[in-house]
Amino acid sequence: MTNVSFENILISFGFASKEDLKKLLRENADKEVYLDLTCYDPAEFYLAAPNLKGAFSALFSDESKKIEVHMRERNEKFLEKLRELGFFPVETSIVSCGFIFPRTIVQVINEAYYALEENVASKSDIDRAMKYGVNYPKGPFEWAQDKELYVLTLLNELFTKTQDQRYRPSKLLTV
Amino acid sequence: MHYQKIVVIGAGTMGSGIAQWFAQQLCSVELVDNSEEQLQKALKGIYDSWDKLVQKQKLNVTEVEKMKGLLSVKGLGKVARDADLVIEAIIENLEVKKSLFQKLDQHFAPHTIISSNTSSFPISLMSEALSPARKPRFVGLHFFNPATIMKLVEVIKSETTDELLARDLYDWFESKNKKPALCKDSPGFIVNRVARNFYGEPLRIAEDDNEEKMKEIDRILKEVGGFKMGPFELMDLIGIDVNYSVTCSVWEAYGKEPRFAPHALQKQMVEEKRFGRKSKRGFYKYD
Repeated sequence: MTNVSFENILISFGFASKEDLKKLLRENADKEVYLDLTCYDPAEFYLAAPNLKGAFSALFSDESKKIEVHMRERNEKFLEKLRELGFFPVETSIVSCGFIFPRTIVQVINEAYYALEENVASKSDIDRAMKYGVNYPKGPFEWAQDKELYVLTLLNELFTKTQDQRYRPSKLLTV
Repeated sequence: MHYQKIVVIGAGTMGSGIAQWFAQQLCSVELVDNSEEQLQKALKGIYDSWDKLVQKQKLNVTEVEKMKGLLSVKGLGKVARDADLVIEAIIENLEVKKSLFQKLDQHFAPHTIISSNTSSFPISLMSEALSPARKPRFVGLHFFNPATIMKLVEVIKSETTDELLARDLYDWFESKNKKPALCKDSPGFIVNRVARNFYGEPLRIAEDDNEEKMKEIDRILKEVGGFKMGPFELMDLIGIDVNYSVTCSVWEAYGKEPRFAPHALQKQMVEEKRFGRKSKRGFYKYD
């Protein structure tokens, strides 16, 4: 977790446990807080902490540095700070567990892991198939590279929230 | 090995695209269909496409003349028996395919490789129609539309396919600037399985039939994710009915595994005949 503070605003970047994020919100009750909630449900945090003014998902951000941003109310100062830090905020009004892009690709990644688990094809052939058969900008394993923890955390979160078996992670993600 | 004599069975969109691609590799190609009308339509389509490629200076006139000389259309009875590789691209009907494979097995020389461009049937199930000697030389070759442009070919190896033969086809496609992927004979192969969630998950994020929300999800996945098309506009293009039927077939093949379950809205849209662009009404309206 890396925190950036200016004026009355606190922005927290990076991966953290739910408990740590909630603690941060409690300790900064007098500030306007913006959190990276890539792996969690922003609605749950909004409900618990009125000082949470917005959430974004930067954990799957690639070289384009584009990130989804949701704000209770539009705050240009916060957006400007993100731009200063090299990000390109893309605003959304949809509050969804795991936002839109992370939630969609962790599910694509999970299925790719299931296929690998069942020896359907190699990692590189699965990546290649998705890039050259349906024009994905990256293969599922390229997206997941060094981000398996985020993939697993978000899948577990979606499973806990919905109790829907479709979010059960592949065994290969849990080892 | 070098695959020089190619036979493509079925002159629909996939079959003619596959035939065109092989001719562009300077293979000799016989495109087969039982409808003369379909054959002439396919031939005209391929010639028109080549003329356009000449206009765009992607090919020159000499090359195209050569390709035209290498491509012929005919009925199955007139096809030479010594083809190196036969690709079946007829309708997705298991019984029709099996009876065709039986005929192909008898028609072609022992060395001929027989393959299927199926996207829905297990290769092992179709190979039941073949003689024991042919089974090792039977493989799935799944091309993507348009076959001349999309680089992926799924090379599907069943339990009885000769491993070296599948490898050799993989290497050959690789040498011809395709991007082959070797995969096991399992439902949906790679793409039709792994791509399911690109449609299924956004449907669950949208929750219900809300056009504004879908537009926003499409926008975010293009802008943040770098996808060329969003899931909803893509489903509208593919056809809601087609996408729903692929979803159901994968879901059923995996014993109704919840990861592949279709969304209620897909079924509802099919019932309402909201098929996407082709019916002017899908997730979006096209008036």
